[in-house]
Amino acid sequence: MIDEGNKAFWDACAAGELRVQRCITCGHLRYPISTVCPECLSEDAAWELLSGRGTVVSFCIFRHAYNEAWRDRLPYNVAIIQLEEGPRMLSNVHGVSPDEIRVDLEVKVAFEVEQGFSIPVFERAAR
Amino acid sequence: MPWGKAAISGVGASRQGKLEGETAISLATEALRNAITDAGIEKDDIDGLLTMPGSSSPEGAKHYLALGEHVGINPRFTGSLAMGGATAGALVQLAAMAVATGMANTVACVFGDAARTQGSKFDAAAGRGDSWGIWGMFGNAANSAISARRHMALYGTTSEQLGWVAVNGRRNAALSEHAVMKEPITVADHQASRMIVDPLHLLDCCLITDGGVAIIVTSPERAAAGRHRPVRLWGMGQGHTLENLGREDWWYLPHQKDCVSGAYRMAGVSPKDIDVAQLYDNFTIAVLLWLEHAGFVKVGESGPFVEGGTRIARDGELPVNTAGGNLSESYMQGWLHVVEGVRQIRGECDTRQVEGAEICLVTGRGMTLNTSSSLILGR
Ligand SMILES: [Zn+2]
Repeated sequence: MIDEGNKAFWDACAAGELRVQRCITCGHLRYPISTVCPECLSEDAAWELLSGRGTVVSFCIFRHAYNEAWRDRLPYNVAIIQLEEGPRMLSNVHGVSPDEIRVDLEVKVAFEVEQGFSIPVFERAAR
Repeated sequence: MPWGKAAISGVGASRQGKLEGETAISLATEALRNAITDAGIEKDDIDGLLTMPGSSSPEGAKHYLALGEHVGINPRFTGSLAMGGATAGALVQLAAMAVATGMANTVACVFGDAARTQGSKFDAAAGRGDSWGIWGMFGNAANSAISARRHMALYGTTSEQLGWVAVNGRRNAALSEHAVMKEPITVADHQASRMIVDPLHLLDCCLITDGGVAIIVTSPERAAAGRHRPVRLWGMGQGHTLENLGREDWWYLPHQKDCVSGAYRMAGVSPKDIDVAQLYDNFTIAVLLWLEHAGFVKVGESGPFVEGGTRIARDGELPVNTAGGNLSESYMQGWLHVVEGVRQIRGECDTRQVEGAEICLVTGRGMTLNTSSSLILGR
């Protein structure tokens, strides 16, 4: 799962930071992780620290286990998060029940360690 | 002036449902045999072969090789394409272009899948590779659930409104000869069906079935010598959003608007000219989005349009999915939507025939809300 192209992302997560690539040629901030800028096709990029703040674009709640590893977490949400700086991420919003999560909910990144990996998830932002 | 330089002269489906002992290839072959009979041609008249690998086909993009060998076709024009539910329309378009350019005279577009008995693979991690599995994002329903949730939040669309799409599909399937699910359902049944990926209930989701479908595309002149009234391709369109998270409105499938408007332009028609629509329905929300993208209603107004089920009924202002669609007829990933469109234009649908149906819109969408194709069928 970890390779040369995404190692910097996961290393940052391990350090409690959300970093995505900014194209050095055209300045486009991109996610998902890629070896090339989808705007200008340049390969030159730097890993930029983000605020971790965002809002929920939309979400769904799994009530049916498609994958055994997730059965004991049912029901759980999967959300698209609009990050403050522009890119969007797919993630989970922790600490909110299926009745509480909503579109436009303000969230901030958190990191959850699973099987040795620090995974970026989100929590309700403090008001 | 509609384009009309190619026509569908034959359609065929295999048996549909849970078919023990069948394979993707055997079902594709059964469908092809029926389409050849329907077109009134000989197998040797076919000089083009376009295929879609089923989820249970091991060959992937080399599927045309396996099927061509199996059915003994050595074509002038061939290939396989995998765009999920947009593939049927896209292959008919390729076939039409091959016919119009003279690269082939008669093209068979063929699909078969034994997804039901051979174990469906529709529960893989969504997204590219397995990356979204990290966050538990599995299966095809989740993308559409996210799409539906945002539509609900922005426009007040309700689960009950989605339920009317399911009810409409089921009542039409009851009149369709090869429909798998014919038992009537109500919106209350829809609401009571178990939640799969909230906000989508079981009855918001397509079936998983075994079956095959074949469509024969040829010139209007050759089609006129066939067994049935030729159904000409008046207009064709595609549109795709190949980025997903990269586009802020990806959840709304904005490319579908370009897809249908391209077909309208080519056909020289507008939404008010469409007599009947076969709108791709992997999940009920898909029909709502098509109604908006195809210009039958304004953005956000599809929920109220389907509510009560009268406007989309067979005798309504826009009959939708007159054979039951993916939700109730059979999950042939949009191939049967083309077949039903052809049959409606031919006027051979008996009790489910839409009176005066002369122009039909057929749409397909696929992958992770990425691809779309549309056909406008006419006489
Ligand atoms: Zn760039």
